[in-house]
Order: sequence, then structure tokens, then C-alpha cells
Amino acid sequence: APTPCTQILHSGSRISLSELPGATWGEHTCTLTPSVRGYIEEKVLDFAKQNPGIVVYVTPQKCRSPTVVAEYLNGAVREEIIADRTVAEITQLVQKLANQSGLEIIRIRKPFHTDNPSIQGQWHPFTNKPSALPIRSLRRLEQQPNKV
Amino acid sequence: MATGLLLRAPRRLLAAAGGAGRAALSLQHQQRRNKKLWLRAYLEQERLRAPVTRRSEKPNWDYHAEIQAFSHRLHETFSLDLLKTAFVNSCYIKSEEARRQELGLDKEAVALNLQDNHKLSEQGLSLSRSYLTQCFEDAYPKMPSEGIRALVDFLTSQELVSYVARNLAIQDLTLCAEFPVPPSVLQQTFFAVIGALFESSGPQKTGIFIRDFLIPQLIGKDLFEIWDVTNPMGLLVEELAKRNMSAPEPRLTRQSGASTVLPLYFVGLYCDKKLIAEGPGETVLAAEEEAARVALRKLYGYTENRQPWDYSKPREGWRAEKAISST
Repeated sequence: APTPCTQILHSGSRISLSELPGATWGEHTCTLTPSVRGYIEEKVLDFAKQNPGIVVYVTPQKCRSPTVVAEYLNGAVREEIIADRTVAEITQLVQKLANQSGLEIIRIRKPFHTDNPSIQGQWHPFTNKPSALPIRSLRRLEQQPNKV
Repeated sequence: MATGLLLRAPRRLLAAAGGAGRAALSLQHQQRRNKKLWLRAYLEQERLRAPVTRRSEKPNWDYHAEIQAFSHRLHETFSLDLLKTAFVNSCYIKSEEARRQELGLDKEAVALNLQDNHKLSEQGLSLSRSYLTQCFEDAYPKMPSEGIRALVDFLTSQELVSYVARNLAIQDLTLCAEFPVPPSVLQQTFFAVIGALFESSGPQKTGIFIRDFLIPQLIGKDLFEIWDVTNPMGLLVEELAKRNMSAPEPRLTRQSGASTVLPLYFVGLYCDKKLIAEGPGETVLAAEEEAARVALRKLYGYTENRQPWDYSKPREGWRAEKAISST
């Protein structure tokens, strides 16, 4: 199974490859709260203009409460209910969803990662131990004539 | 993945239902008006069992807008007609024409005015291969041509390219007869996109695109995972002969647990009594082979602690015209 750090598509020096291809708003025409209506009237167009890489669909449909559905490039789908939020909160939420990649939100085990874990070679129990090859040197034999 | 999800999510809901049933006797739970837990578990299982469908068949899909968003997301300017042509596959044209004929339309209506993507795809493939070969020849000058060819084959292979394409949402935009799109078709579509990018933006942007999306797939990969070498010792002897060094002499340097079920032998290769590489193994022969592989990695400069790839400067001197004129 791929480790969490390799689940995002690695990309080189490309700046901000936004990972969100489509964001959908669905709202039931009866349960349209004034904040959602205000957001759609005022803020949605600005958001769509600022993020040309995200396709924004606003559709009235029969559902219990207004939601935002965010679909990511890696196939993950996140749905958030925006019924009881103010316009500012909705803008903040949508911006947060746009900045996320589609990775599952779970506990990150360690806040660091490296692709080159060892420069001089990873330690193993035989590092820096003398090798089994007998290295003879005449000087040592002269100094310690008893040792063979 | 789906079968794992099939079991995990409904089981969690069912376990919660069982636990809540027992706990309700002790704690007076307030009435909850949402759907029952067992019903939610059943609906979740049905949702996971439903056949996978294309994104274009689900609600909220605007092909033109999606294509525009695709080009903006990659920060590249594409000519939209070329990009739309790049996503059309021949299997789609055939299946569409067959479907129209079955519906009983005239011959003029049956013929789709859509062009295939095979020309763009061949162009993209040859461009990528030439660019990647140039990159590797510059970065690893001591690597032989078979090694570079193995690296380029790996980076343009079906699994890798289809993985990259899937994560760029190319699968949603491809027009293909089958779903999920088979890896060969995804590979063809990805290279067609590269061809379309070359026609729209020029060689430098295409080179940067190929570098940014294909070369990071080499991170964490060892040379001999990619390049299959059956006789590393023979290859090493040839390489040393080319560099006018004597043949390597293998010597057992360290060993441990020779009579146990997990023996460990370290074999060192010596050229002119100087150690060039040392490798471990379970048997002495396996250790010798591993030492030869370590020596080859050192000679070709593809060790684990080599300089990471430099993405800051775009490649100069890549003659894209050569690649097209050769096809």
C-alpha cells in the first residue's frame, strides 16, 4: 500500500498544483438559507474567477439541506453542510476545501519526511567493526612477539 | 480497495448499532429521528456495491468547462481544439458510430467528425522519450545506454503513466469505450496531451511538463528495481575492463550466524587490493552478487546518496525538432 506521503502525485517545482477539479453546491429551493443565498449572489463568482482551475457547479436540487461537495483529483469526495453558517464562514470553508489536497484527514504520524534518509550509508551492526580478513603487519608482530 | 471498504464502513455502523442497543438499557437515550443504524449500514453497503460509473455520467458535468479548468490547473495554455482531440480515442469513435447505427440514423449522421489522438500520442511519446534520454545522459554520464533505456522505459511504462494520468483527472476527461479506462488507453491519452501541449506552447514548456510529472516518480526507487540485470558480476567485469581496472577479487569480509537459519555474509570486491564495494547476503553467492550490484551503482553514480534532481533550471539544448523528424 502506498505510504501517505506518496499518495499525492509528486510533482517537481510546479507551483501550487491545485488538487480540486470540481466543487458543487446543491441546495433545495425550500431550505435555501439567507446566508447561502447571499454567498451565491455575492461570493461564488469571485471564488470561481480567482480559481480558474476549479469548476464550480451551482445546482438547485431536492435535498434536505444545502451542501458543498468538493471532488479532488485523487478521487476523494468531501461533503459539508453549509446550512447554519454565515457568508464569511462559507467563504472560509470553501477556501479551505480548495487549498486541501484530497488526502484522507487522519493523524499524521510524524511531521517530517525525507527522500534521502542516509548520506553516508545507514548504520548496521557491522559498520565500523574491523573486518574478518586477517590483515598482517610485520610491525605488530615485532612489537608483540608472543601474539601470533 | 472497494471490497475492503465494503466490509469496514458497514461493519463499523453495525458494531455501533449493537453497542448502542445494549447501552440503551442502562442509559436512557433520547429519541433520534434519523435513519436507523442498521439501515445506514445497509445503504452504505449498497452504495459501495453499485457499479463504478464515469464521472461524465454523474450529475454536474460540463465538458468544455472541465477542459478549460484542466489547462488552468496545470498552469499551461493549450489550444482547446487540440486538447479535445487529444482526449478522443479510436475505441470511442467506433463505439459511438456503432451505437448511432443501432439507433437507425443515416450514414451521414453516423459519421462523427472527430479526429483520433493517435498522431498526437505518437508525437508525445517520441518527445518524452527523447527528452528523458537527454536528461539522464546529462545527469548520469557514466551510465551505459541500456541503463538509460531501462530508466526511460520505466518512466514511460503503462502502470506509471496511467497512475500519473489518473491523479491528474485525465481518466474523467478521456472519451473511451470502456470504464474504468484501461492503462494502455490512459498512456496513449497522456502522451497525446503532451503532444497537444507541444503544438500549443512549444518545446520548452513541454520539457518542463515532462520533467515535473515523470521524473519525481523515480524518488525512492533503486536502479536495479527498474533495470533488470541478470548477471551483475559479468557486467561489472566488462565495466572495469572498459575503465582499465583489473578484475574484481571477491573476499569474505564479515560473517555471522553461519550455522543458523539466518546466516549473514558480507563479501567485499577488491580491485588491485583496494575495496570497491561490499555487499551482504544470506549465502556467499548471494552476497557476491549483491556486492557486484553495489559496485555497479557506485560506478554509474546512481547511489542512494546521490545529488537529488535539480528542478530549478529548465533544460537547455534539447533539440525537439530532432525527435519529431526521427518519427
